[in-house]
Amino acid sequence: MKKDNPTGQRKWNSNPNTWIMLLTIVCVAATLVMAVYVLWFYRSSYHEETEQAVYDKYYMMITEDNKSSIWRSIYQGACEQALEENVYVDWLGDDLFQGYSVEEQMQIAIAAGVDGIIVTANENEGMTELVNRASEEEIPVITLYGDNTQSARCSFVGIGSYNLGHEYGRLALQIIREKLIGQTVTYASVEEDEEQGIETAQIEEVKIGSDKRPVRVAVMVNSYAQGLDQNILCSGIQETIEQERGEKLAIEMEILSVDDTNAFSVEESIRDIFMEKDIPDIIICLNELNTTCVYQAVVDYNKVGQVNILGYYDSDTIINAIDRGVIYATVAIDTEQMGKFCINALQEYHELGYTSQYFTADIRLIQKDNVGEYLEKGDLADESDE
Amino acid sequence: MRVMSKRHSVSLQFKISSIYILTNLLVMIVNIVLLIGINNMSGRLDMVYQDNLHLNELSDALGVVQDNMTDYLNAKTTDSLEDYYRSEQDYRTMMADLNEQITGVPFDRMERNIRNMSEYYLEEVGQTIEAKRGRNVEKYRIHYEKATQMYEYTAAYITNLNLEKFRSNSERYSDLLKRFKLFESTSLVAIILVMASNACIIIRFVGTIISPLKKLAGSANEVAKGNFDIELLPVESEDEVGVVTGAFNSMVVSISRYIERIRESMEAERALKERELLMEAHLKDARLKYLQAQINPHFLFNTLNAGAQLAMMEGADRTYEYVQKVAQFYRYNMKKSEETVTIADEIEMVDYYIYILNVRFAGDIHYEKHIDQSLLAVEMPGMILQPIVENCVNHGIHEMGSEGNICLSIYYKGEKVCISVKDNGVGMSEETIHKVMSGTYREDNMAAGSNGIGMDNVISRMKLFTGSEDVMVIRSEGQDKGTEVCLYL
Repeated sequence: MKKDNPTGQRKWNSNPNTWIMLLTIVCVAATLVMAVYVLWFYRSSYHEETEQAVYDKYYMMITEDNKSSIWRSIYQGACEQALEENVYVDWLGDDLFQGYSVEEQMQIAIAAGVDGIIVTANENEGMTELVNRASEEEIPVITLYGDNTQSARCSFVGIGSYNLGHEYGRLALQIIREKLIGQTVTYASVEEDEEQGIETAQIEEVKIGSDKRPVRVAVMVNSYAQGLDQNILCSGIQETIEQERGEKLAIEMEILSVDDTNAFSVEESIRDIFMEKDIPDIIICLNELNTTCVYQAVVDYNKVGQVNILGYYDSDTIINAIDRGVIYATVAIDTEQMGKFCINALQEYHELGYTSQYFTADIRLIQKDNVGEYLEKGDLADESDE
Repeated sequence: MRVMSKRHSVSLQFKISSIYILTNLLVMIVNIVLLIGINNMSGRLDMVYQDNLHLNELSDALGVVQDNMTDYLNAKTTDSLEDYYRSEQDYRTMMADLNEQITGVPFDRMERNIRNMSEYYLEEVGQTIEAKRGRNVEKYRIHYEKATQMYEYTAAYITNLNLEKFRSNSERYSDLLKRFKLFESTSLVAIILVMASNACIIIRFVGTIISPLKKLAGSANEVAKGNFDIELLPVESEDEVGVVTGAFNSMVVSISRYIERIRESMEAERALKERELLMEAHLKDARLKYLQAQINPHFLFNTLNAGAQLAMMEGADRTYEYVQKVAQFYRYNMKKSEETVTIADEIEMVDYYIYILNVRFAGDIHYEKHIDQSLLAVEMPGMILQPIVENCVNHGIHEMGSEGNICLSIYYKGEKVCISVKDNGVGMSEETIHKVMSGTYREDNMAAGSNGIGMDNVISRMKLFTGSEDVMVIRSEGQDKGTEVCLYL
């Protein structure tokens, strides 16, 4: 063969053996690569369950409902803080025990032997008993949002209810001055001439805020669960309005009790209010769910502009509603700060054996003029979620 | 190179077995890998819902504890108490498997909670049983209620965990199934690859084994067609094919050598036969010429004999002798021309011839002989010397006119016998000598007294007899200096 090719050019095409050799090497190499890949393939699925970090302490958070984003936000704040302290916080009502009351969840938490409980308490005796029992079991209890002053809870994290009430009162007066004064409503009165037996209807235009048609301010409170200290809050509102309203204004305060004894009843009872004849001019809502429901009802019953809403909490829905002008203002709580306070209080208690009795979270007012920054925040948050 | 030579020195059987084993090995490795993978995966599929089974058992065991406690509270039988203790022990054993660390995995934390709640529950149950045994009705009622409540919570917690795990396991199951499908297609690709690899390996190796065989077959075909001038095949390996190739090569070489040898011997035989035929032809030619010259030798011979007798009766002795010798000369001519004779016969023949000539030409030829007596018996073709002497007389001495001398010498020269006939005649030119030696010289008129045998005939027969070319040398020193003709036997 070499004699035939004196130029010394190796002829690839004329030598099938070289090709076959190459092909063989390629195929064998590919086979081995394949085998390694297959090995790696199920090896990798072996090790997908990675080692999880072990935490020093385990706290449990119990709230009266698990739908509102306020609790989620608080839990998030607590979680972030907890992880920094190598502590894990579970939200008991999150998925598992939706049907259970706060008291029942407390019992479970105590039985589960957690290292600390964060609970939205109330002043019920049952709650006091449970908190005390937890203390006996050496489980520190932090009351969140709602307090149980009689019990042996080690700290309370919440909002200053009186201050909040004052803020709402101020906002209500602001609404009255900005929007309601000067507005008139047609007021039909029927006069009956008894002698003649004739009824005459008189239609007159009445100014809102006059004695005939006082401004109606309604505070919507829950009949059963008492998250905030509603009494203090209401008195805060009332006092502020009394002090700052001026002589000429006639303002009528009322408490709207919303039935929250069972699921979905809140929404129904709010709708009932709108079915009535006299709808308040200003509705002050004290929780997120109520705010959302009232907002929706106002839109549905075409009362935008007639009914002014003062909301609570800064969920996306509420922020958007402010932007559209349906809700006049809302009070936002620094929920993440609340969560952090809870963890800090528990950690402090574990370290020192005592902690501060009260932690008060900051509140912010969100109105039309500053809603923009919250909208952006919300959008940014949404984007970051994505 | 060492590897190469090692590879080349292995046997065909080893090579073929190696290919078989290698390809099978490849298939086996891939199969084992796939089998392990499938086994592993199916094992994991089986294990997916194992957690749920355990939790179900745990839940059942918890129920049994509660039932046994209730039974005992109802009837307070020893059996139910024993059952309670047993079930409690069972439940504790199962509890021991539950995780107790606080980790980031929700299931782990739930297990920890269930574990603690179970402890709490069992404590309550224990206190209930204790109170019942102490017949403290109020106390055991309270504990019973607490225990029952805790039982419900714990059972609910277990159920929750079970549900959560089921959900996650289902996701994992479908994930595993997906992986399984992927694994299937991967396996298929792997198997196809292995098949391709094996095919390549087999083609490659069989090719290396078969190619020398193909070359061998091609060469064998060439040889079968009779072409022995093929290039010898290179022996690439030392396996059986290599051995056969080597054997084939040496066979081709041997056959061609053998054929060469046969050809040579046939050539020699043919030459020999040719020489014989030629000699015969020359003899026949000589004899023909002789017969042409002698019309009837027998008649002549008998006539001469009658003449000799007549001379004897008349007392003419010299005539008688002359006629007698002429008769002897012709008899010899008639008898010996066809066979091998001795030198002595030839000398005698020359003697007769000279005598006749001397009688004819009144003795003007002087004849000398210097003969090594030991050479008289040496054989030589007949009718050689006489024609030479005749030539000497006819061309050398006759033309001279004066007294001629002829000297015949027979002696050893080297290994050969030299017969020299020398005259003192006119001599020969170089040209004539060359013509005579090459056989192109022709006498136009045959001199009287010649028996008709030419020099070319003499030379040819000498060549045939000796088998050599150097049979005769003619020397002449020039005009009138005589000629010497030497024959070598």
